[in-house]
Amino acid sequence: MINKIAVLVSVLVAGFSYSQEKIWDTFEGTRGLSNHSTEMLYKRNMEFRVSHKFGDIAGSNGGLQSFYGFDNLADVRIAFEYGITDNINIGLGRSKGVNERIGVVDMFGKMRLIQQEKNGKPLNITYVSALAFSYHKASTDSTLSTNYQTPLDRLIFTNQIIVSRKFSDRLSLQVNAGYHHRNLVTYNDVNGMIFTGGVIRYRFTKTLGIITEYNHVWNRSSLTEQTNPLAVGFELLTGGHNFTLVVSNHKGVNENVFLSNTTSDWLKGEWRIGFTINRRFKL
Amino acid sequence: MKKKILSFVLLITISITLLSIDDVTKNRFLPLNTTNDLKELSVLNVLLELGAEKPNHYVMESNMDSVRMGYQMVYYGQLKDKSNTKISKFFVCTDCHNQVIEVADLSKETAEERVTYGMKNGLPFLPASTFYGLYNKSHWYNGDYAKKYGDLVKPTRDTLKNAIQLCATQCSQGRALKEWEMSAIIHYYKSIEFKVNDLNLNESELNQLLTDLGTHNTRSVDVLKRKYNSINKATFGKLNPKEPDNYSADLKAGEYIFKNGCLHCHGMGKDITNFEFDNDKLTLSFLESKLKKHNTYSVPYIVRKGTYAMSGRKQYMPQYPLEKMSNTQLFDLISYIKSKSK
Repeated sequence: MINKIAVLVSVLVAGFSYSQEKIWDTFEGTRGLSNHSTEMLYKRNMEFRVSHKFGDIAGSNGGLQSFYGFDNLADVRIAFEYGITDNINIGLGRSKGVNERIGVVDMFGKMRLIQQEKNGKPLNITYVSALAFSYHKASTDSTLSTNYQTPLDRLIFTNQIIVSRKFSDRLSLQVNAGYHHRNLVTYNDVNGMIFTGGVIRYRFTKTLGIITEYNHVWNRSSLTEQTNPLAVGFELLTGGHNFTLVVSNHKGVNENVFLSNTTSDWLKGEWRIGFTINRRFKL
Repeated sequence: MKKKILSFVLLITISITLLSIDDVTKNRFLPLNTTNDLKELSVLNVLLELGAEKPNHYVMESNMDSVRMGYQMVYYGQLKDKSNTKISKFFVCTDCHNQVIEVADLSKETAEERVTYGMKNGLPFLPASTFYGLYNKSHWYNGDYAKKYGDLVKPTRDTLKNAIQLCATQCSQGRALKEWEMSAIIHYYKSIEFKVNDLNLNESELNQLLTDLGTHNTRSVDVLKRKYNSINKATFGKLNPKEPDNYSADLKAGEYIFKNGCLHCHGMGKDITNFEFDNDKLTLSFLESKLKKHNTYSVPYIVRKGTYAMSGRKQYMPQYPLEKMSNTQLFDLISYIKSKSK
């Protein structure tokens, strides 16, 4: 009996350890557009990212007076991200922030749990845990979410699990689900939000693709003006650089900010152009 | 009288010591009875026994610890216990150099032979010379490498250690090797030097060599040296080569060059270059669309010119000299890309 179990265990171990051809490049970068993708930085690679969102293209704040938003800055984030291993990444960023959440430092840890294989595992699965901290001066107005009483009031957390699959050289899909929590919110808001989202990428050529990204918060308070973030963009691979041009209703460029601070409405012309450019280095 | 005896004893002692030292530096083989005994002998040691000059990188005997350390630095860029820093953060030696024989006949180290032998044995098709037998070469960074590296090649041409340093600091954009690291790598090279068996000597040549070793006759020196290239030539091809006359596409050779050459470094998940791709239609269509361009996405351009280190992007791609990839083979590669892009 023991021998049979030993044989069975050996077969199972051999089966799991059998090296399948891995699938790479489900997405070009570590983000779909604004939210994380399942892609990881290689070990000892560092990425410098600059993300920028302009003002409203149309609506009351847009139009020719603001040169269709180019005169205004909605949000900007500068970040460094690093591959500790091929499957564990960390990052540190600073963004301007939006609405009352301004002066935001964020950090994250990201772990790839499963990588898609040619004749093996069908999906990529990645877990991301992110934290943000607003260092801006606390408001004395007790009705605002920035009326911080303790440092802990300043914290925002977002944890999500991301699943993706590269269906062909051209088409990749991703879904994500997670929990977003702000320690301090206004009386009419909720602290914890459950959200799900998705990303579709279609590549026209090796270096040009179109991406759509949407995130839906399920338990948003009906007493707030918050909306769900939707973005459409193009990615351009230039070898070492990955340039993303995006049109979105959300102003924030970090998930800790845009999930709960998006108040713009596509239908009112409250959408804006943004871009992200990154550069990778080997350390 | 006592002084005379003491002086005599001292003289005898010094003479024996000196003779012993001389004996160690000579290459004494075990008694050789048959030509089979010859085959595992080091070609260099046989040449030295026949009166050839020692190269300046000569190592009398391999030290297995050094060989192991040299092997690890060649394959992993540092010792596996990470007690030294990486020689280069961009490349390891095996990205550009094979570690095995690349041709069936070492006297015909041509691009055509590399493809034939490489396809048969599934070898990577790389732009730089194999390390197997590098220990036996007498000249490095030859020919047109002077166009790429200028005066930096001068000290490397007759000194293997200088050639290794140039490769470490320029080709791989890494750091200079320390003395012990250099020693370990030379010991590793010695472990993959040519053996008599590699030279494909016929029975008559082996018998002659056996006789010459017994009589210290130097006539076999030339015979041995004709059996391998002691200098690997390097000629840089044109950036817009014309299709060779009477060219007939060999798609299998093109596929081999793409998969075992291009993808060796550019393959997905390799983390060697900034431009990773696969053998998919999207990639091949992209490369096909750039064939006529005069930039680094154009296959003929990048194969013949490579790229150069620049501020902010130090690592670069070495080019394939004509001796490593002929124009016919370049057109086989282009033909393969065209055939798979539609």
